[in-house]
Amino acid sequence: MSVDAMATVKQTFFQECEEQLAELEAGLLAIERGEAEPDTVNAVFRAVHSIKGGAGAFSLEELVQFAHVFETTLDHLRTGALEPSADVLGVMLRAADLLADLVVAARDGLAVDGERSDVLVAELNALSPGGAADAEAEEDDMSDFSFTPVTVAFDFSDSAADAGRSFTVSFKPKPELYAKGNETALVLRELERLGQMEIICDASDLPLLGELDPEGAYLEWAIKLTTEKGEDAIREVFEFVEWDCSLSIQADDAETGSTDDALAALLRSIQADETVVPVALPDAAPPPAIEEPDPSAAAAKTGAARNEPGAAAPQTIRADLERVDRLIDLVGELVINQAMLSQRVIEAGHVPGSAVAIGLDELEQLTREIQECVMAIRAQAVKSVFQRMPRLVREVAGMTGKSVRLITDGEGTEVDKTVIDRLTDPLTHMIRNAIDHGLEKPEVRVAAGKPAEGVVRLSAMHRSGRIVIEVADDGAGIDRQRVKALAAGKGLIAADAPLTDEEIDNLIFLPGFSTASEVSNISGRGVGMDVVKRSIQSLGGRLSIASRPGKGSTFTMSLPLTLAVLDGMVVTVADQTLVVPLTAIIETLQPKAADVHGLGGSARVIAIRDAFTPLVDIGRELDFRSAATDPLAGVAILVETEGGRRSALLVDTIQGQRQVVIKSLESNYRHVPGIAAATILGDGRVALILDVDAVIANSQSDVTNLEPVLAAAG
Amino acid sequence: MTAVTDPSQRILELAPVLDFRAATPLAEGLLAMRGTALTIDSSRVERIGGQCLQVLLSAKKTWSADDTALSFTNLTPTFIEGLRLLGIAEADFTREEMSE
Repeated sequence: MSVDAMATVKQTFFQECEEQLAELEAGLLAIERGEAEPDTVNAVFRAVHSIKGGAGAFSLEELVQFAHVFETTLDHLRTGALEPSADVLGVMLRAADLLADLVVAARDGLAVDGERSDVLVAELNALSPGGAADAEAEEDDMSDFSFTPVTVAFDFSDSAADAGRSFTVSFKPKPELYAKGNETALVLRELERLGQMEIICDASDLPLLGELDPEGAYLEWAIKLTTEKGEDAIREVFEFVEWDCSLSIQADDAETGSTDDALAALLRSIQADETVVPVALPDAAPPPAIEEPDPSAAAAKTGAARNEPGAAAPQTIRADLERVDRLIDLVGELVINQAMLSQRVIEAGHVPGSAVAIGLDELEQLTREIQECVMAIRAQAVKSVFQRMPRLVREVAGMTGKSVRLITDGEGTEVDKTVIDRLTDPLTHMIRNAIDHGLEKPEVRVAAGKPAEGVVRLSAMHRSGRIVIEVADDGAGIDRQRVKALAAGKGLIAADAPLTDEEIDNLIFLPGFSTASEVSNISGRGVGMDVVKRSIQSLGGRLSIASRPGKGSTFTMSLPLTLAVLDGMVVTVADQTLVVPLTAIIETLQPKAADVHGLGGSARVIAIRDAFTPLVDIGRELDFRSAATDPLAGVAILVETEGGRRSALLVDTIQGQRQVVIKSLESNYRHVPGIAAATILGDGRVALILDVDAVIANSQSDVTNLEPVLAAAG
Repeated sequence: MTAVTDPSQRILELAPVLDFRAATPLAEGLLAMRGTALTIDSSRVERIGGQCLQVLLSAKKTWSADDTALSFTNLTPTFIEGLRLLGIAEADFTREEMSE
C-alpha cells in the first residue's frame, strides 16, 4: 500500500474514531440517566473495541493499551459483574474523555499526559471485580503488545473439558482486509486471547514470487480454539474484518475433550496440502490446486457461516465535500437558468397551459426536487455538535466548582454542514458563559431555594424555515443594574440613558463589554459575547437573549437551514425589486383605510383581525424614498419575527413567488443593514433579499414606543 | 530494509517492522536477488504481518523451485513468536537451512 493510501486509511480511521467516541459518550450518558436500551452497553463496548482494533492496526500503542483496559472494565459492566453506579459512570466518562484525547494526540502526533492515563488506568482496574489482581493480570496481558514471546500450551486434548468448548475456525483474508489497514496477525492475537489456540497456515494458494502481488492475500488459516467464551466472542474478534475475509466458525460437539474426527481430517488435509517447503517445482507449473474431497473442509473454505448484514445499519458513503458543493453550485445555476427560461417563455407570448408552459412547470418541479435532494446531502443533525458539549460541561463545572446537568433536546434537527461546522465555537462559548456567569455556586442556589445542581438546557428546533438553538440556564439571570453600571463605566452608554430591560440585556453583546470583574479562565480570554454574536451573524443568523432575574437566561440563536437557496416573495418597493423570505410570511393583505391608524410621527399600526400590528414602511426603512407611502396604494405583508412578534411590511406591489439562489453580499460587497443577501432573477437583474428581522429591529424605536399603546388597545 | 551485496554470499537484512507497508519493498528486494543463493538476516525483526509472511513463504517456494539455497539466520524471539501466531513453526523457516 502506498504512503498516500495509508494516510487516507488512517484519516478514515480517525474519522470513525470520532463517531465511535460520540457513540461511546452518548451511550454512557444514557446509562447514567437510566435510559439505556438493552443494547446500549454493547454499543458502548463495541465503540471502544473498534477504536482499539483500528489503533492496533496503526500501532498506536498508547491508544491500544488504554482502550484495552477501558474495554476490560466495560466488559464487566456488560456481563453485569459491575453495577452502573454514578461513581462507576463518572470514571467511565472521564475515561471516555481521555480516550478522546488519546485519539487526538495520536492523530496530531502530540504527547500524551502519561500521569493522567495512569491514574485512570488504576481507577478502571479498581472497578474490575477482583481489583488489583486483575490489574496485575492486565499488565501482563499488555506486555504482549510488544511481542514478548508467550508460551502457549498446545495440548488442548487434556484441557478441553475444563477450558470450555472447542471451535474450528477457518479464516481466509481478502486483499481488502490489508488494504483497509487491518492485519491478520492482530486478529489472530485477539483470537488467542480467548483461549487455547492451535493454528495452521495453509499456503497452498501461494504463487511464486514473480506472480505474487505483495498486497494480495493468499494464505488461509485453520484454527482450533478451545475457549470458555462463546461463538459471539469469536465473531467479535473478526468484527472489523468479517466483510473482508472468508470466515467460518463451527462449534465442535460438546465437551468431549477428544478432537472431532472431521476436524482432525480437516487439519490433516490442510497439513498435507501445506506447501511451505515444496519439492522442486517448475516455474511454469500452475499453483497447486486444493483437491478437497472432505465436505467439512469445503464448507469451511466457502465461508458459509458469514454473518448477514445487520438490517438496521443504513448504508453510507463518504464523499468529498468539494464534489457535493460543486453539485450544489450547479443546481443553483440550474435554478437560475430555469427561472430565466420561464421568463423568456412568458415574454415569447406562450400562455399558461400551453405545451411549452406545462413542460416548463414540470421542469421546475424536477429542478426543485433535485435541489432538495442535493441539499439533503449536506444536511447533518446538530447531534454532532451537541455531543461535544457534555464533556465541556463536565470540565467547566469541575473548574468552577459548580454542579451542572446538561439537558439536550432536538439533537436530530438537521441543518447544512457549513452551519454545523461553524456552530461549535459560538455554542461552546455560550455554554461556558452559561455555567460560568449564569449559574450560581451550589451554596448560593440552595440559599435561594433552588436545587444545588444547576441545569443548562441545550435545544434545537426548526422554526419558520430556520433552525433555532437555545442555550438556557436556570441561574440568577442578568444583573441588570450591574450591567448598566458597567456599560456606563466603560462609556458604552450614557449613564442616564433610559433603557428597557431588553436593551440592557443586549448590552452584553456590545464590543468591549465583559461582566466578569476578573477575566476568568473559562469564559474570559478577551472573547466576549460580541464575538459570538458576530460569528452567528456571519452565518446569516441572529442571537438574542431573554433573562428573568432569579430564574435564568436564555440565549437564542436562529440560523438559516441552508446558505444556498430560499423561497421568496418577489416584491416591488420604490421601483426596486426585493425578495422577502417566504418562511417569514404569514399572509398578505390589501390595507383598508379603516384599519390603518397613525400613532403620531410616522408610526402606524394596522388592525388585522382584532389585533394591532406595527406597519413597517419598507421604502422608508431602506431609504429608498423619504416620503411615507400611502398604505392604501400598497400591499401589507404580515410577517413573524424570531421572537414570535408580528409586523406588517408595507410594499408597493407583489410580483410573485419564486425560488431564488442566495448570493452573499458580504463576500462580494459588504454587509448592508436590513439586507440579508442578493440573488439573480430570471431576467438577469440583481434583487436584494430582505432581512426581515433586521428591518423590523431597525424600526424598533417606533415599535417600542408603540407597545404601551398596543397593550391598551389589545 | 537494506540489501548488502557480498561477493561470496548475498545477504538480505529484514526490516524491524514487517507490516503491510513493508510487503511490496520486501517482495521487490527479494525478486531482485532471485537466482542467487541468499541468506536472510532476521536479527532485527520485531514483528511480522500476514502480507510479509506471504512474501517470505513465496520466496521460500520460489528459491526451492529454482533449486537455489535460501536460509534464514538470527531469528529473533519476537519474529519466532510472530510466526507462531501466524501458524508457522520456527522449524519451517530453519528446516531448509538445515537441509542445504
